[in-house]
Amino acid sequence: MKKILINFVLILFAFIIYFLQSNFFNWFTIAGVMPNLFIIYILFIGLFGSRTMALVYSSVCGIILDLLFKERIGVNLIGFVLVAIIATLFDKNFSKDSRITIMFMVMGVTIFFEIITFFMNYILYSMYVEIWSFIKILIIEVIYNIIFTIIIYPLIQKFGYYIENEYKGNKILTKYF
Amino acid sequence: MYRKKKGELLGIIITIIILILIVVFSNMESNTSFFENIVNKLVMPIQNSLTYLKNRISGNSTFFTDINNLKTENQMLQDKNSKLEQSLRELENIKTENETLKEYLGLTEKYGDYKTIPGYIINKDISNYSKVIVINIGKNDGVEKNMTVIADEGLVGHVISVTDTTAKVRTIIDTSSSISCLMSTNKDSIVCKGTLNSNSELKAMYIATDANLIQGDSVDTSGLGGIYPKGIHVGTIKTIVATKNITDRYAIIETAVDFNKLNTVLVIKNN
Repeated sequence: MKKILINFVLILFAFIIYFLQSNFFNWFTIAGVMPNLFIIYILFIGLFGSRTMALVYSSVCGIILDLLFKERIGVNLIGFVLVAIIATLFDKNFSKDSRITIMFMVMGVTIFFEIITFFMNYILYSMYVEIWSFIKILIIEVIYNIIFTIIIYPLIQKFGYYIENEYKGNKILTKYF
Repeated sequence: MYRKKKGELLGIIITIIILILIVVFSNMESNTSFFENIVNKLVMPIQNSLTYLKNRISGNSTFFTDINNLKTENQMLQDKNSKLEQSLRELENIKTENETLKEYLGLTEKYGDYKTIPGYIINKDISNYSKVIVINIGKNDGVEKNMTVIADEGLVGHVISVTDTTAKVRTIIDTSSSISCLMSTNKDSIVCKGTLNSNSELKAMYIATDANLIQGDSVDTSGLGGIYPKGIHVGTIKTIVATKNITDRYAIIETAVDFNKLNTVLVIKNN
């Protein structure tokens, strides 16, 4: 029952993020650059949930975003799944209590995701490459994502530990020994 | 320990193989279209209402006016309407006469040759690096892949994918977009590409060494490439950037369409 509730809330979060991203953040930008809340969402699930959960959620989000906005499926799907894998690796090696660590994690996965998707867009859609413009947008996006994480992380941290207790239970401590 | 690591590696390999299979199979035209329809049916009703609400709040100050004002306004509008209907009948007579005169003179309206389907924008790509828009007309309205999309001011882009009720449009400012154009004064050919920097500028490249660029010159589509018809207005030359090597020089084109304020579009039917 608790697991059903957790998944229901996570799906609801995904819908809220989608509608925020496509309606609110189209207007609320920093120098015309939007944050990418889906990266933070997948990172959150990867850190607190199980690996299977992270892979399923990242695949579904990726496929839906590709179907809605892209000509072909693949760019968001592969990008999000790789973010999920990295997030599970972060979970094994770093503490989630430090806000600085979380900020670095957000920075790392945002840079990784955008470079991967930029590279795939270049291959799939013959995108015109402008390295300096890309770096400029990426830096602003990373800052925006970090600011957003600083604001929301304390609010979602408790829910994260609730998910962790439910999905990992007695495995939480054993990984440190 | 070894077995655990081996299991993890196997898990990642299996995930990657499944991903590749999903990407390959889902990109077959019929499968993609089927799933696109499902996702659209799930998301678009809410998206449509949010877009409607956003447009009402942002562009219409009468949304929150009281009922008394509306009643008075309604009465006034009814009076105005009857007067307008009378003027309309008169204007229709003049219009018929005018059209006959135009035929005599051999004039045609700017896009009068094209059959168009009107639509409005319901969604924009959430990525910072892609400028794809979604419009509210699809296969049911006669929209097909590769059809040209225009607005009153000029070229918007082309349709890249269609579902029953929606269509995705790659705008000319998208970095994957590339248009063959002609400068109106000297008819020299250029290629205009979208840039990441701006929502209102294109980069004109592959300019012939003997071409004479004029600031403020109009740029229209050349008709080459098989997607865009000839003669659709793209924008005007804003700045010319000279480089050491003349073959590398480029120009910045200011788009005729203001993509930040774009709401309604017209899709040109192929036939």
